[in-house]
Amino acid sequence: MRLLDEKRELLYVIRTFDVLMSSGVGLEAAIHTIGQGGYGIISEDFAGLMKRLRKGSGGGLDKQLKHLMKSAESPGYKRLLNTLYTNVTQNTDLVETLKKQGTRMEEERSEAVEKYIEELGGVPETLLSIGMIGPIILSIIGLVPQLMSGDLGSFMSLPDPAVISGVVNMGLIMTLVAMFFIGLKAHTKDPGL
Amino acid sequence: MIFGLIESFNDTPLLLFLLILGLGFAGGGIPPMRERARRRTIENELPSFLEALSDSVGAGRGLQEAMMEQSTANDGPLAKLLGETLKESHASSFEASLASFAAKSRSSQVQRVMVLLETAIQQDSSLRDILSDLSMDYERLNDLMNRRESELQGRGILIILFVSVGLPVLIAFIVGLFAPASQGYQITAFNNTFALFFAAASAIGVGVSGRMMGRLKDVLWWLPMWMALSMGLYLGAVKLVGG
Repeated sequence: MRLLDEKRELLYVIRTFDVLMSSGVGLEAAIHTIGQGGYGIISEDFAGLMKRLRKGSGGGLDKQLKHLMKSAESPGYKRLLNTLYTNVTQNTDLVETLKKQGTRMEEERSEAVEKYIEELGGVPETLLSIGMIGPIILSIIGLVPQLMSGDLGSFMSLPDPAVISGVVNMGLIMTLVAMFFIGLKAHTKDPGL
Repeated sequence: MIFGLIESFNDTPLLLFLLILGLGFAGGGIPPMRERARRRTIENELPSFLEALSDSVGAGRGLQEAMMEQSTANDGPLAKLLGETLKESHASSFEASLASFAAKSRSSQVQRVMVLLETAIQQDSSLRDILSDLSMDYERLNDLMNRRESELQGRGILIILFVSVGLPVLIAFIVGLFAPASQGYQITAFNNTFALFFAAASAIGVGVSGRMMGRLKDVLWWLPMWMALSMGLYLGAVKLVGG
């Protein structure tokens, strides 16, 4: 969940940093502005960072950024925090780097959406194959004790109807679980638009 | 015959419960759909609106003046909403009217743009460049969102139709033809099991379809209705075919 939130907000955070720092706002003030809200999980992270800085616990801004890098999950967010950390320790051209990162993030987002659409192309077919073939076979298995109850039953011995019913129930549950996991792809691969 | 069919569902209280729940929830499902359509219209208008603002600001107009002009020059929900907000907020500050406009739009895109503009005004940044950049950013974002929706909508509908409608009817025909209740086959327990399965499969199918299109929360309102439809179709078709 955190990964998805980071992906969703990151580009806007980079753009805000870009606007703020291009107009002469300092890094700490920019982090404070973003920490005030509007950028989901990243706002929460920055608010926590500012709180710790004000308390004076856990060292300066560089150490706090380093600490935040450990909890970041998306590569883009880690990259942004690393850029901010480098700026604090080495006085780099942050605005230029942020512009490049923004462009790169946007390209990555477009690629991620295309990949998502491509990957989900197979989901309906797989879902329908499992979700339709499974129940059709299981329904026939479930009807066997009824269909073979007459003269046909003397030709071959059938398991107890309770056993067949158990097999059908288990099969249906397994089908539902399989459908759920196939469908889960739609959630886990979400590009976070 | 219809009343007889409906009466026969009395043995499945879950179906009746889901049907009642579905009818009630449908009332809650329509407003998010309408709201989403309105919000997406506003968001799709946003890039061209920002571009026009950038041009006006570049020509020497103030942001407030440029917004006023654009709200009167254009029609559509975005210009209408902005015009109304600017008119209403004569007594308050321009920043307050921007915040009010962002809140009324109920769009995260508009809210982000307004927060950024407010910050840019406070910091005396070059509004022309910012507006132009934002316009391009949001145009690309909306293109991606529209593409995702148009490409995945068909697949989402396919899943719902097959899992919630096609599958129950198909299996009901198999059961009704090969083991009709009218000929003494004892299939009540079998039918109850499969009706429950179709309700659950329908819930998964509808959930997956909603998630694919990025509107899971909106679709959840319709979940009981689809579950009830799926169960009802199966049990109804079994009774119609098998007696």
